[in-house]
Amino acid sequence: MSLPRCSLHLLVLTGALALTACGSDGGAEQSRFQPEIITHFADDVVVPTYQQLATRLATLDSAVAALSAGPTSAQLTAAQEAWIAARAPWEQSEGFLFGPVDSFGYDPALDSWPVNRTDLDAVLASNDAFTPEYVRNLQETQKGFHTVEYLLFGEGRTKKVEDLTQRQLDYLKALATELKSVSAALASEWSQSVEGRPPYRDVLASAGQAGNTAYPSVQAAAQEMVGGIINILDEVANGKIADPYDAKDPQLVESQFAYNSLKDFTDNLRSVENVYLGRLPGATPKGPSLADFVKGERPELDTRIRQELTAAIDALGRIPEPFRDAITDPAAAGEIEAAQAAIRKAQNTFESDVKPLIQ
Amino acid sequence: MRRTLTLCSWMALASACGEPAPPPRAGGDTTIEDRTSLAFAQPAPNLSAEHFERHREGDAAFGAVFVPGPAPVNPGLGPLFNNNSCNACHLRNGRGMPVMGPGPQRTQLLVRVSLPEGERSHPNGPVPVPGLGAQVADQATHGFTPEASVTLSWVEEEGAYGDGTPYRLRRPGIHIARSDGAPLPPELLTSLRLPPPVFGLGLLEAVDVSTLRALEDADDLNGDGISGRLNEVWDVQAGALAPGRFGLKANSPNLLQQSAEAYFNDMGVTSPLFPEPDGAHDLPRETLEAAVFYAQSLAVPARTALGDAEVQHGEELFLAAGCGHCHRELLETGEHPLPELAHQRIHPYTDMLLHDMGAGLADGRPDGVADGQEWRTAPLWGLGLTQTVLPYAGYLHDGRARTLEEAILWHGGEAERSREHFRTLSATERAALVKFLGSL
Repeated sequence: MSLPRCSLHLLVLTGALALTACGSDGGAEQSRFQPEIITHFADDVVVPTYQQLATRLATLDSAVAALSAGPTSAQLTAAQEAWIAARAPWEQSEGFLFGPVDSFGYDPALDSWPVNRTDLDAVLASNDAFTPEYVRNLQETQKGFHTVEYLLFGEGRTKKVEDLTQRQLDYLKALATELKSVSAALASEWSQSVEGRPPYRDVLASAGQAGNTAYPSVQAAAQEMVGGIINILDEVANGKIADPYDAKDPQLVESQFAYNSLKDFTDNLRSVENVYLGRLPGATPKGPSLADFVKGERPELDTRIRQELTAAIDALGRIPEPFRDAITDPAAAGEIEAAQAAIRKAQNTFESDVKPLIQ
Repeated sequence: MRRTLTLCSWMALASACGEPAPPPRAGGDTTIEDRTSLAFAQPAPNLSAEHFERHREGDAAFGAVFVPGPAPVNPGLGPLFNNNSCNACHLRNGRGMPVMGPGPQRTQLLVRVSLPEGERSHPNGPVPVPGLGAQVADQATHGFTPEASVTLSWVEEEGAYGDGTPYRLRRPGIHIARSDGAPLPPELLTSLRLPPPVFGLGLLEAVDVSTLRALEDADDLNGDGISGRLNEVWDVQAGALAPGRFGLKANSPNLLQQSAEAYFNDMGVTSPLFPEPDGAHDLPRETLEAAVFYAQSLAVPARTALGDAEVQHGEELFLAAGCGHCHRELLETGEHPLPELAHQRIHPYTDMLLHDMGAGLADGRPDGVADGQEWRTAPLWGLGLTQTVLPYAGYLHDGRARTLEEAILWHGGEAERSREHFRTLSATERAALVKFLGSL
């Protein structure tokens, strides 16, 4: 049933296809996209982001253990701050949500929403012992970042240390320990050989080399980088902001208990910056980046991208927190829509101008 | 937040520059150029603006994580279930991981069960197992007990290619322990299932049944050693038997029913097709239809590396081995309520028919008119992206194959001759054939 090649060619030529520059498949022209950009992205952005997540969730675990052992206001504040600090690398990882994070269920284990309050209340009301095995068997929706957030901050960020029962403290402690362990496993999958699997960093960094079936070309890995950027920009403007804003439903707002929503969104944009610039905030790039490639192709485009990302972050900064209240406040509507527009503008630039450069 | 929303597709760009042939349009006008981990999660590029919006709504429905009611967001999970969202099993819309049990990986496999004799739940339906029904629910909301726990183990066996190169295959073993300690009936039939990819399903739904009937050769009248027949399954809405298309044994007649069955059996979420005894249901019809629309309106990723000589050689070997008798490259769609899917020339590499796949792959559990050795030909489009989309994902109905080579080597029954053809190829030729599959 194979279609003869000549008719295939005709089929495509008569179809509504744009014929553009050569890709790598036929090897007719080598892309100027250096493989080192991928290696540095893996080593200087992905791996350190996950390591920072593991470190900060270990800190959260310690802070929650201290809170549980002798609850004071200061310790509750310390645990809340540790939660907010751990949230940043997770949100900064959402520009590259591929690889082991889904294979091994780490994403839902860390970041499931909504909080399953029915079962959470039932578990807290029970006499069940919160052993590691017991907690491992619970649904993701009654653990992870947002259940910890719900318990640490409460509805409307009203939690006081005297509100916390010992039962809740014990449960928090068990959840924080599991978060620590999940994030350590996620970081290991990228940086170490686990159960015979090579570090996933190697899979990405060896894009285009013989035997790499996940990324048979450097272009495929470059597309993965840009696809991740476009995906998270779309998600922030058209999902994380649009869903609750359009529905005027605070229940749909991410990180609503900690009033951390806008910081989450901002860290998502930082994630884009990190991928584009090939470094974490405050660090100096150690090698060629996607930005360098774009600059080499079209210098004015690189300038525009940097400006648009900065403008999008600034626009988010002008929305008043808590975001869960801002979505129903007519006075904030202008700022919310301006932020969406700024993020969509950057998304459109990556979609229309950057993607064609790496086809 | 756990929510897949990928709405930007790679533009349909083809590289020309003296290439002998641009990629076949795998999914007709729904084809995209995307070889990334998001390749199975893009909207078809030919959707109208209105349908693009519906796709977005469907994406949210497909990603929605259910919790037990009462709850302000997504109530209705359970009380018995396997997983809590469509996405949780259909990870990034691709093949899942062959894992079961607790821990962050959770259960992505599920076990269908039935008895060989007894009263069927509906014509051609399974005979339910007392206490288990037709599918083992190994998870439960708080205060409820899962029906059973399922433990997965692997048994490895050795084999060798024609040139003496050894290989190892693994076969899953499952142990089901009922929570109440009751013994299982000795005649229990089980079938372990891994979720298949979600994209391209609307196109397969749009293929006229007459087209598929024309491919049937149930009694192998043409003597090519390949039979092939459509399943005949219960259509819940029609209240009648209908040709089966979806599911690993083609046990569902259309995507609406397939999706409603998944909500009901896998998540314990009731819908208009499978309501509570009193007629109420957790899921509004529009949400069910939105999830179906999402699956129907996903893009199909185009083939890659068409100009690669090894890939071209591999394609010749694929055809010479007779793989294309069942994994038919080309089908044409007919009418469909979604006009973007109608009259498309598509390259799914399936005939949608049931075939005897031999004892090695047999689950021994009839499903519709499919017997214990029959499976529906799996579409091969996008096959090469399986482990880009989800690293370490498994192949075949239960995920036993870790590589494409293993998947081929498991073929038996009507496919035995093709498998032997592959097994006795030289190492270079085997690599070429597998590289061709990887280009799909």
